[in-house]
Amino acid sequence: MGIPTVSIVGTAFMKQAALVSKGIGVPFAIAEYPGAPMVDSDDELRRKVDVHLMPAIIAGLTRKTGQAAAPVDVEPAPDSVVFSGTLDAVEKYFHDQLWSDGLPVIPPTRARVDAFLRFTTRDRNAVIAVLPQEGREASILSIAVNGVMAGCKPEYMPVLIAIIEAIADPHFRIEDSGSTPAWEPLIIVSGPIAQELDLNFGAGLMRAGRQANTSLGRFLRMYLRNICGYRISPGDGDKGSIGYTFNVAMAENEAWARDIGWPTFGMDMGYAQEDNVVTVQSVVCISPPTYSSGAEATGHLQQFVDVIGRTFSYWAYSGLKRGCWHSLIVIGPSIATAIAGECSKDDVRRYLWEKATIPAEMMQRFARQTGGLELDFQQLVSDGYISADYIASNDPQRQVRIFANPQDIGIVVAGDPGRNQSRGYMAHAPATASNCHPTGTPCAAPRANEGRHNRRDAHCARLRCGARSSRRHACIPDAASARDRVRHTRRHGRPCCARIESATRRETRPTVCR
Amino acid sequence: MKNLQDQMNENQPEPQFSVLWPLAKRSIKTQGAAAGLPDLSGKTVCELWDYIFRGDVMYAVIRERLTALYPGIKFIGYKEFGNIHGPKQRDIIAGLADKLRELKCDAVISGIGA
Repeated sequence: MGIPTVSIVGTAFMKQAALVSKGIGVPFAIAEYPGAPMVDSDDELRRKVDVHLMPAIIAGLTRKTGQAAAPVDVEPAPDSVVFSGTLDAVEKYFHDQLWSDGLPVIPPTRARVDAFLRFTTRDRNAVIAVLPQEGREASILSIAVNGVMAGCKPEYMPVLIAIIEAIADPHFRIEDSGSTPAWEPLIIVSGPIAQELDLNFGAGLMRAGRQANTSLGRFLRMYLRNICGYRISPGDGDKGSIGYTFNVAMAENEAWARDIGWPTFGMDMGYAQEDNVVTVQSVVCISPPTYSSGAEATGHLQQFVDVIGRTFSYWAYSGLKRGCWHSLIVIGPSIATAIAGECSKDDVRRYLWEKATIPAEMMQRFARQTGGLELDFQQLVSDGYISADYIASNDPQRQVRIFANPQDIGIVVAGDPGRNQSRGYMAHAPATASNCHPTGTPCAAPRANEGRHNRRDAHCARLRCGARSSRRHACIPDAASARDRVRHTRRHGRPCCARIESATRRETRPTVCR
Repeated sequence: MKNLQDQMNENQPEPQFSVLWPLAKRSIKTQGAAAGLPDLSGKTVCELWDYIFRGDVMYAVIRERLTALYPGIKFIGYKEFGNIHGPKQRDIIAGLADKLRELKCDAVISGIGA
């Protein structure tokens, strides 16, 4: 546009700013704020603005000539051999290039990569999307290469593609992946393929150990490093302050869910029971292991409120401000059985929505820690992101809901059926909210179906209704039909999901994925 | 003296691996940044803010200082544009170019990355 612009960036983010600048192809003029503004006194902040920001702002806005475009790096061509050597030599080379995640990788030889490519009908050079923050192409080839490196099996390729399709959905907000909260993506695999690929959904659900779960999780983190540029030091792009490492992929005990009359997570997302689906969502923290007991549902649900709800309460403002917040509760199968005796999944959501509260003043205090404007409940109500309940009174100690919408709560039945443990996975609040609409307002028309992915519009999907329930207490009307479920799931942003393509290896072999 | 296993290992060369590039092509068009203004006096400066990291305090100081230095400088505050990192981010960014033109913006200060 020809408008001179200066960006204010804290010291810790200067390298990432350079990386982003390169990724979008435009040089930035930067005014560096030294240190962290959140811990400076008002006087110190003003001093730094005067001493450091003002000269840089003036220089940036009045420089005589614009900064020239940065020269384009000379890089290898896709599908080219970049190194040959022994295993140790390959490991060292990849590590030095920042292409590995610190663990040994499976060398991505052409033969191994080709083995993966035989499990998709897509052209190796087909591009799913151009991904931030380095502006690189998420190509089928790059998926295969990184899948090899992560220790996946070739038959995982359709799942790998679906994972990348999910994160390429703008609602996933992959550009926030390297931000300070350091959220970690969580892959949930639904449908028959979970068992076909031997994904663990029982004891040790989220531990490394089963090849499918572990390598799928590792693959995504590796892909975020190599294609998106989110690397910790000595790399530049990942500004996660503390963080934790990759989540293994999750699968649900779908047979158990069906046995107790609950829809599967995939069905919650608007897909048929027999569809193979990948969902990817963010996890910014995990609750304590939540033990609950008793034969009645209420005891378990109240424990979820008291433990998981309390854990989530700190971040709830983030969800309110953005209009949606997709956290996940993994309910142990035995617990789910006890609950399902009285409640549907929607009943569970409703209970948590009603009972998980926090004093309004506390939520506002939590919000102030990131140095933003005061959490303005009135404005959020006016904007339609939260209900008028939040401003029912002016009492700062009034209880306000942690979950703005019950349908935001995802539920997966998994873990050790012989134990009484559940766990909560708290999401960051992605700007899936950008496609979240004020409560009760219909979404814009869903995107046209694309190719084989007939449920692609479920990328902007949000759970609204569970399946029909035969249980006694249906607090939220169940969807009348699958079509209603899909219609409802179009309304709001949701963790992004993609249907797994059916793939038959291009030699004679039974179909792996349905 | 080497044992038989060591001798056998010495006679077997380690396998060599020719490996493919794990990254992917960048697909961006590069361009240079706009030149600055010779003088900010009388110009319109627009503020963009992600509503975090004390940008409200910073922008207040910046406005004050630039006003003292450049007669006639005008500011269009961040509230006019909305939260560039909030729920309407995509809509705001999509409409930003038009809005800047509509407001006859001469320069932009954007923040806060911290």
